[in-house]
Amino acid sequence: MADVVIRSLFKKYGNHRVIENLNLEIHDGEFVTLLGPSGCGKTTLLRMIAGLEPIDNGELFINGKLYNHIPPQKRSLAMVFQSYALFPHMTVRKNICFGMKIKKLSKSEMDRKFEWVINLLRLKELENRLPREISGGQRQRVALARSLVLDPEVLLLDEPLSNLDAALRETASEELKRIHRQLGKTIIYVTHNQVEAMTMSERIALFRFGRIEQYDKPRVLYDSPATVFSAEFIGSPKMNFYEGEIEIRNNVAGIKTDLAFLKLDKEREKTIFSMPGRKILAGIRPQTVYYTGHLLRRRYTDTEVEILAELVENMGDRSLVVGRTEAGTLIRFIITREEKIDQDKRMKIFIDGRRIHVFDPITQLNIFR
Amino acid sequence: MLWFTGIICALVIVIGPVYLLLKYSVSDINSINTGGNPVPMWPYNPTLQAYVYLFSDSHFYQVLLNSVVISLFTIALGMILGIPASYVLGRYKLPGRKVLLLMIISVRLFPDIASVIPVVEFFIKIGMHQTYLGVILAHTLLALPYIIFIGAGAFESIPDDLEGQAIILGANRFQTFFKLLFPLAMPGLAAAAIYTFLLSWDEFIFSYFLMLGKQEIYTLTLYLNGIKYAEPQNLLAAISVCLSIPVIAFSFMVQKYMVAGISAGSVK
Repeated sequence: MADVVIRSLFKKYGNHRVIENLNLEIHDGEFVTLLGPSGCGKTTLLRMIAGLEPIDNGELFINGKLYNHIPPQKRSLAMVFQSYALFPHMTVRKNICFGMKIKKLSKSEMDRKFEWVINLLRLKELENRLPREISGGQRQRVALARSLVLDPEVLLLDEPLSNLDAALRETASEELKRIHRQLGKTIIYVTHNQVEAMTMSERIALFRFGRIEQYDKPRVLYDSPATVFSAEFIGSPKMNFYEGEIEIRNNVAGIKTDLAFLKLDKEREKTIFSMPGRKILAGIRPQTVYYTGHLLRRRYTDTEVEILAELVENMGDRSLVVGRTEAGTLIRFIITREEKIDQDKRMKIFIDGRRIHVFDPITQLNIFR
Repeated sequence: MLWFTGIICALVIVIGPVYLLLKYSVSDINSINTGGNPVPMWPYNPTLQAYVYLFSDSHFYQVLLNSVVISLFTIALGMILGIPASYVLGRYKLPGRKVLLLMIISVRLFPDIASVIPVVEFFIKIGMHQTYLGVILAHTLLALPYIIFIGAGAFESIPDDLEGQAIILGANRFQTFFKLLFPLAMPGLAAAAIYTFLLSWDEFIFSYFLMLGKQEIYTLTLYLNGIKYAEPQNLLAAISVCLSIPVIAFSFMVQKYMVAGISAGSVK
């Protein structure tokens, strides 16, 4: 077990900067996800931690020890590749024991660890099969087993679930969480799938163009995104954005947008009272819009909007509604299955003012963070 | 129907010459010199006398042994030199790698008959002509570009992730090579070995110029050349059969290493 500290890291491929001045601290035993769109440098960072890519500039510490020039063989960490990288000419048993053989563990210790890991990952009776003879989910578990038997201090996982189908992915992700709880290892997990990141990790480092956009607990990332990019990337369906400016009406400060005059909660209202005229980008999550048909107690912070339901997309347990105001502004929101909305129906909706996200359109930063 | 006809034609083209060869090798004299009558499809009195004659000739044994020794040593030397070269050219992103590969293979763009003179001239100067080693070296020279080309392709086709994984699991370069890359490149290398065997076994031009006049080290092709005008043809046919059988046997032996899709299931 170990903590990982990265200080002002740089990486270039030719003239293309893959990672730029990156700082990251991961605590001992923490499950941290590097999340971001493809090509944002997250896998490169993982490969740098593993030692497969040299570090151009900056420092990597594991357990307080400088790791920059330690060869990958000597780093006490393990990595599971996106492709699993199972050795095709070796049986499951030989694959799992490969690292232990190289480290020259005794036969009895090797057997003990092998037994332990095949029980942990339910790989019994597969030990003599070749990788091509087992299923995708089993291959993923073999790859994980091969890493775990070496008892690494840090476990690096590069999109380990992306090659599995949806049903398997859920089981596999639960299993990973269980293993993390059981073994308490530091895990660095790379994915572009925000659902995986949100459900599995203790902290998420959101990547964009080789920089960390935000590094927080999943809840914090969702509830108070630091930037417009964070707000857009996290959450599904995507957040609605409206340009507007701060205005004071009847002695109450709000945000004037094409959608409506948006009211905020009291605390934030006080803050923006002093900045009338300031340009704002307001973000509204589809989940924080309510429908009048649903008998809710209204709050004074709610903004009422009248819309025409243009499109209702049934998603099973809930539906996505695309509404259009008289002025033509669109808003997307979610209703539960108990609430029925017919297409082309006029209706009133309420926007929860407490959960409107307020950004500066120029700096793209959340002005309340 | 057209498809069926095509298969028949292909079979006739492939099997036909082999059949003729076999037929002649077991023909009696009357089935060859028919005195104007059409040559029969199968000899009147099949006989093994050509083989009996061949196997009673002690020079033939010597020649057979020479061919085996020379081709096996050519394979060994070719592999010893070719595998490291193809490993480096296949696995490392060296600058100018493609050009180097092209240059290596372009050695074989010259017709053998054009390159044999300077090579033999050089071999004579260093006293290598009329020796086993000289012939082995010459055959290695001919086979090496192909070995490197096929081998580099075999090493290159191994996914990078596998090598990265082996390194992370603690393997050094040697362990990665011997436990992972070499076994995985095996099918390609086996193909290269078969090719080398065929080349050395069948090689005539270089052998001819290098060995001429020294019967003790003659190979089968030279032996065949020495009696090419001898009548009847059944002896020639018998030698040709003897030339072909080891090639087929060797190919079958090595084929088990050429498992298609050996890397299936490794990645994804």
